[in-house]
Amino acid sequence: MPHLSRRAFITSVGGSVAAVWFTAKATDLLASGDFAARASREHPAPPFAILTADQASELDAATALIIPSDATAGAREARVVWFIDKSLGGFARKQRPVFEKGIAELTQRAAKAQKGATSFASLTEAQQIAILTALEKDKKNPFFNALRGATIMGMFANPEYGGNFNKVGWKMIGFDDQFSWKAPFGWYDANAR
Amino acid sequence: MHADHPHPPLPPLQQHTITYRPDDEVDFVVVGSGAAGSVVAKELSSAGFRVVVLEQGPWRTEKEFGHDEISVGMENFLTNKWDQSPNTFRADAKQKAKVQPALMYGRLVGGTSVHFSANFWRFREIDFKEASVKGTVPGTGLVDWPITYQDLEPYYTKVDWEVGVAGAPGPFDPPRSRGYPMPPHPPKSTGTLLEIGAKKMGWKAFPAPMAIASQPYDGRSGCVQCGFCIGFGCEVRAKSSALVTMIPKAVATGKCEVRPNSYVRKVQTDAKGRATGVVYFDGNKKEILQRAKAVVVCANGAETPRLLLNSKSNLFPQGLANSSGVVGTHLMFNGGGFASGIFDHEVNGYKGIVATRIVWDLFELDPKLGLSGGGGFDFRSTSTPMQYAMGGLPPKSPTWGKEYKRLLAHHYTRQLDCYGHTTSLPQASNSISLDPDAKDAWGIPAIRMTYKDHPQDLKLFDYFAARGEELLKAAGATETWKAPSTSQEFSVHLLGTCRMGNDPKASVVDKFNRSHDVKNLFIVDGSSLVTSGRGQPTMTIQALAFRAGDNIARFAKRGEI
Repeated sequence: MPHLSRRAFITSVGGSVAAVWFTAKATDLLASGDFAARASREHPAPPFAILTADQASELDAATALIIPSDATAGAREARVVWFIDKSLGGFARKQRPVFEKGIAELTQRAAKAQKGATSFASLTEAQQIAILTALEKDKKNPFFNALRGATIMGMFANPEYGGNFNKVGWKMIGFDDQFSWKAPFGWYDANAR
Repeated sequence: MHADHPHPPLPPLQQHTITYRPDDEVDFVVVGSGAAGSVVAKELSSAGFRVVVLEQGPWRTEKEFGHDEISVGMENFLTNKWDQSPNTFRADAKQKAKVQPALMYGRLVGGTSVHFSANFWRFREIDFKEASVKGTVPGTGLVDWPITYQDLEPYYTKVDWEVGVAGAPGPFDPPRSRGYPMPPHPPKSTGTLLEIGAKKMGWKAFPAPMAIASQPYDGRSGCVQCGFCIGFGCEVRAKSSALVTMIPKAVATGKCEVRPNSYVRKVQTDAKGRATGVVYFDGNKKEILQRAKAVVVCANGAETPRLLLNSKSNLFPQGLANSSGVVGTHLMFNGGGFASGIFDHEVNGYKGIVATRIVWDLFELDPKLGLSGGGGFDFRSTSTPMQYAMGGLPPKSPTWGKEYKRLLAHHYTRQLDCYGHTTSLPQASNSISLDPDAKDAWGIPAIRMTYKDHPQDLKLFDYFAARGEELLKAAGATETWKAPSTSQEFSVHLLGTCRMGNDPKASVVDKFNRSHDVKNLFIVDGSSLVTSGRGQPTMTIQALAFRAGDNIARFAKRGEI
């Protein structure tokens, strides 16, 4: 029944501040994605268009907590920050304040967590997780949901939108991007009769 | 279009063979080009009538379709757009409705059939006479249909062959006059596991009937099993959508003009209470009156009642065809009970069509259970990567961090969902009406949906979720879960809002889909359904459309319209 998954989809991204990602204009995205596709063929990625280097660094640390890098690629390898940067300059223009405020809050909370700390990125992982956990619990603050939604989109959306660089998000979960399949589709087709 | 698309040499489908002037009184104007409208247009134009089809959305082709989750899931590339066409929702009439997306339909030539999953179950005999056989449920509008399965059977067979359905008769298949035109699709692991689980439960799985070509059919490609059916348009014309089946056939008659970007705002009537055409906005928001001898509304179970209610006049103060007050009422969604499970090995449900096997052993339930209705099961994993990562993991899983990532990586290919598709009881209090405040981008009163699942239905959904979880365990799932059923607030199945019946005081259309109140106004789509069936309504909507087309043509030839 289509409606359940549709509904789950909508409630998972709508109804919160992540709604901005939900109302994304694909045409705008694609306009920036053109740039993205070109850039993805080059190495390294071009400079950020919207984020300052400091903001990008803070966001890099935060998105890397949402989907960490370990034996397999995480948000960092997928160039999620780059996806967000492009989006904030395009379809998610209106969300810039949420991210700017949110990033500033990460830095402020870092200074509170450790005396003399000048950035969230400079904290230990445990300290960073504590801050993000606190932000997640603060239901009035739209930043955490926006951050999580954007990280997931940057990880798993079509690479043409600028993230999911080299399809690393898809590879990580075992989604093989082929146009056509033949049986056996899975292990049980052949082995479980 | 997908990067690895083989670019099959499919010739472009003809979109234009004739143009009618708006002041040229055509025989029929059909509102909506989806599952129902396309069939009616094809049948009437094939019978020699001059037909104009008005479609509010654009005319897209498979070259524009792809596997892009952002485009279809976020930008509504194929569907109604909530910024320009908002709707409101409330659970009951005591509440003030709020703007909240509550319905989705395909907004393009071909309608919802372009992006549906193409499960094509026939209704069975019981669906047409549940009230008299099983007893009605007090406080609901559960009644028998004015027609039986036997009345509709020849038209189900027409759908099988003309639209194109793949399948094989199963143990519970209702009587059919002719076999399937195409063999079933190859079973996926989801289907194999359903067979295993069903066998252990003492049930029998059988091939799922699907409106997707399993081999080249009628000039269309066979399915390449890309896996992007639900929510997406088919890139190879294997999905038997109206866009590539009935619409091209209607156009090829040389008698039918399909006008995209044509948004109908009202059915025009004269002083005698006859329909004289429809008023619509073209792509530049210019208002146009298309004159016609008769009007067929096929705009779906939400837009059809809205159009009738917005067509009120001095003669029809409650809205057109609504002397009964029944227009918009008895909205049904289809319900369901859902469970999920994780398996040891890769299921890879994301590859291939949505469902390859189904189980109908609980189509009718043991009366001792005290439940009304029934349903059927399939195993599937419909989640595309982004959708899965947003909310597909087992409940209580972490939603970010190392463990979240580990679970995503492990479960994505090993998780499947058991869908128990069920009936929904018709209730007069569930409805589509006009919102007193909200308007769309054309200034037309928006849809207000009022919907609350019946307590009996919630029990039914829970029953199916529990049986589904057992089925998953029987199939060998190592971890299973189910969500408790809560009243639905969103649907793509929009049924029952202009119900069919013999009594003009209790129904909107007669058994030939003619409105009781206006002799030359016909209504054919999900709104005609008297009961919801066990999910998968499109097969029945198209069979009704073939039957209506047949009868409307007959009436017209006899001068009875």
